[in-house]
Amino acid sequence: MFGGLESNSQWYLNDKILETKQPEDPIRSNNYLFLNYNLNKWSAGLQVESYEKNALLNYNPKYKGTNVATYYARYKDKTFDLTAGYFYEQFGSGLIFRSWEDRALGINNSIRGVRVIIRPTDYITFTSLIGQQRTGFDVSNSKIHGFNTEFDFGKIINLSTSQLTAGFSFVGRDEKAEIVQPDFDNMTNAVSYRLNFSHNSFYFGTELDTKSRDGVLSNGSNDLSSKLVKTGNALLVNMGYTKKGLGVDATFRRLQNMAFFAERVPEIFPQGTSLIFNDRLMNYTPALTKQQHLNTANIYVYQAQSKVDFTSDEIMKAGEIGGQIDVFYDAKKGSKLGGKYGTKFSFNSARWYNLNGKYILSPSNYDTKLLLGSDKYYVDYNIEVTKRFSPKVISGFNYINQYYDGRFVAGYKYIVNTNILGAETTYNFTKSRSVRGVLEHMWADADRKNWASATIEFNATTKASFFITDLYNYGNDDVIKRTHYYNVGGSYRKGASRVALNYGRQRGGLVCVGGVCRIVPESTGVSLSLNTSF
Amino acid sequence: MKYITLIAFIVSFSVFSQKELPNVTILTLENKSVNVKTDFNEKDKIYIYSFWATWCTPCIAELEAINEHYEDWKKELNLELIAVSVDDARTQKRVKPLLNGKDWTYTILLDANQDFKRALSIVNVPYSIIVKNQKIVHIQNGYSQGSEEELHEVLKKL
Repeated sequence: MFGGLESNSQWYLNDKILETKQPEDPIRSNNYLFLNYNLNKWSAGLQVESYEKNALLNYNPKYKGTNVATYYARYKDKTFDLTAGYFYEQFGSGLIFRSWEDRALGINNSIRGVRVIIRPTDYITFTSLIGQQRTGFDVSNSKIHGFNTEFDFGKIINLSTSQLTAGFSFVGRDEKAEIVQPDFDNMTNAVSYRLNFSHNSFYFGTELDTKSRDGVLSNGSNDLSSKLVKTGNALLVNMGYTKKGLGVDATFRRLQNMAFFAERVPEIFPQGTSLIFNDRLMNYTPALTKQQHLNTANIYVYQAQSKVDFTSDEIMKAGEIGGQIDVFYDAKKGSKLGGKYGTKFSFNSARWYNLNGKYILSPSNYDTKLLLGSDKYYVDYNIEVTKRFSPKVISGFNYINQYYDGRFVAGYKYIVNTNILGAETTYNFTKSRSVRGVLEHMWADADRKNWASATIEFNATTKASFFITDLYNYGNDDVIKRTHYYNVGGSYRKGASRVALNYGRQRGGLVCVGGVCRIVPESTGVSLSLNTSF
Repeated sequence: MKYITLIAFIVSFSVFSQKELPNVTILTLENKSVNVKTDFNEKDKIYIYSFWATWCTPCIAELEAINEHYEDWKKELNLELIAVSVDDARTQKRVKPLLNGKDWTYTILLDANQDFKRALSIVNVPYSIIVKNQKIVHIQNGYSQGSEEELHEVLKKL
């Protein structure tokens, strides 16, 4: 038997500066208990979730109370793998289908149904599934059909220094459209073709996806109609070159009308629609940008634009086109750049644009060109240098430049340009005791203007650590809103368990994991999280 | 309250049970399927499954720290470290270029949809499990400097 427990609780407090009031049920907690039994080739498990007295602020309102959330039984041997109940699956990079769990985002879009995976030889895999997607403690009103296959040609033709694999997937969402005589089928089909190749230091991969004709929600309305019926498509190309001490990776992606949900029409809650709670997602279209770790660099975060959206004469979009490039370089110990202990450099830049084409606001329509961009959504440049100065001291320096058009990316009114500098140093007192300090500054020319941030983290032993941090919006034009977002906390871990306690202010905005974001409101309070497995 | 009692009961029951590695199939860096249970099953060999991600600074610090001692540990004990990347489709493409600067000789696996991570109920990375004869004999949740020395002490006693 194997199990795990995760608990995240928050006690929300009144804050006169933030002007936030305690919500109804000021003490809230999200809890997950996972149990799993294995017996030879059989396994079975369940997950109990408890949101008491209520879920943490801005979680999907469908997470309420305590209940068994998922359960499954599975038989698995070398060639045959059968699951009944709830399961998770991803086809290719997830552009047409991914079902996964991310508790920090409140995502659990597992499928309740049956899945069969067959591996007749070591170079071919078939997956077939049918079921309904989880939403809250319920399932959504559509049938999901899926089929996937992966071939390893390298094994078939016995390549030694090269690899060649291919994949094909199909996903169908069968949902009765609740409108009179829809001009599209109840079943929406999505198809994916993939190819991956590598030879010595070089690798290349591509994925092409299409989605069949379906009604598009637009003009900010959540009503389904046959007024705008469109297909969707996606193209992803990735290539890279790596050798000792050097890595280069480049990705191009184009998405057009690839918003894909288990139900066409979002559910409306007092807090917003199910779309903002990442509910009923069929696919995974992450923002392809660098995952930032500095506080200030996480304020203007790009979100992938997979959706058709006609807001006004100026803001009309049908997707995104762009890419990113990464370069990693390690200067050897003893070299001019490397110094005595070596130096690591990394560079990343991403550029994302609207699809070039003709857009008409009313009646909404568009006709895009294949490989051209138009309105600039987001551009960034990131440079990071990490250097060890002595056995006791290691430092890192960051420079980031961002262009963020909030009008296109998130429906705000501003465009902002930022420059961010960050420096961090870790000093080791002993083998297991260290202190880490981070200083950051962001120059921003719009919205809330300049920010500064400082963090000190003290690792007292291998088990206990403490931190204090302040993120200060000192440049706000509105003097009253020059807020300190301070946090202080500590964590203790032993074996499989970890517990963390934190007090402070949460900056409202986006909390992002893996390129998917959740909007959180500003709040002040005490949070306690613990996790263990047994 | 009844849930707390239930949890306490289950926890106390399971503390004494031997935990078997879950039966999960994930991919290698070369896009080939491997079963984490049956493909790493040499008798009495110690397997360290270290869960990490390209965006996780402490994870990389841990793997770098172990790397300094890895050859010595291998001479001393029959062991292998399997670095399981939990990077999803967003960051997975960074795994290969990142590795090349690193001089790591670890076996690398890709757990893109987190099937392995979920089966072990892992909340955050870094997270390491030590497996011997397909049984989980030790867990380390998190990493801070010096943890690798503690891990070494644990390994020597197995």
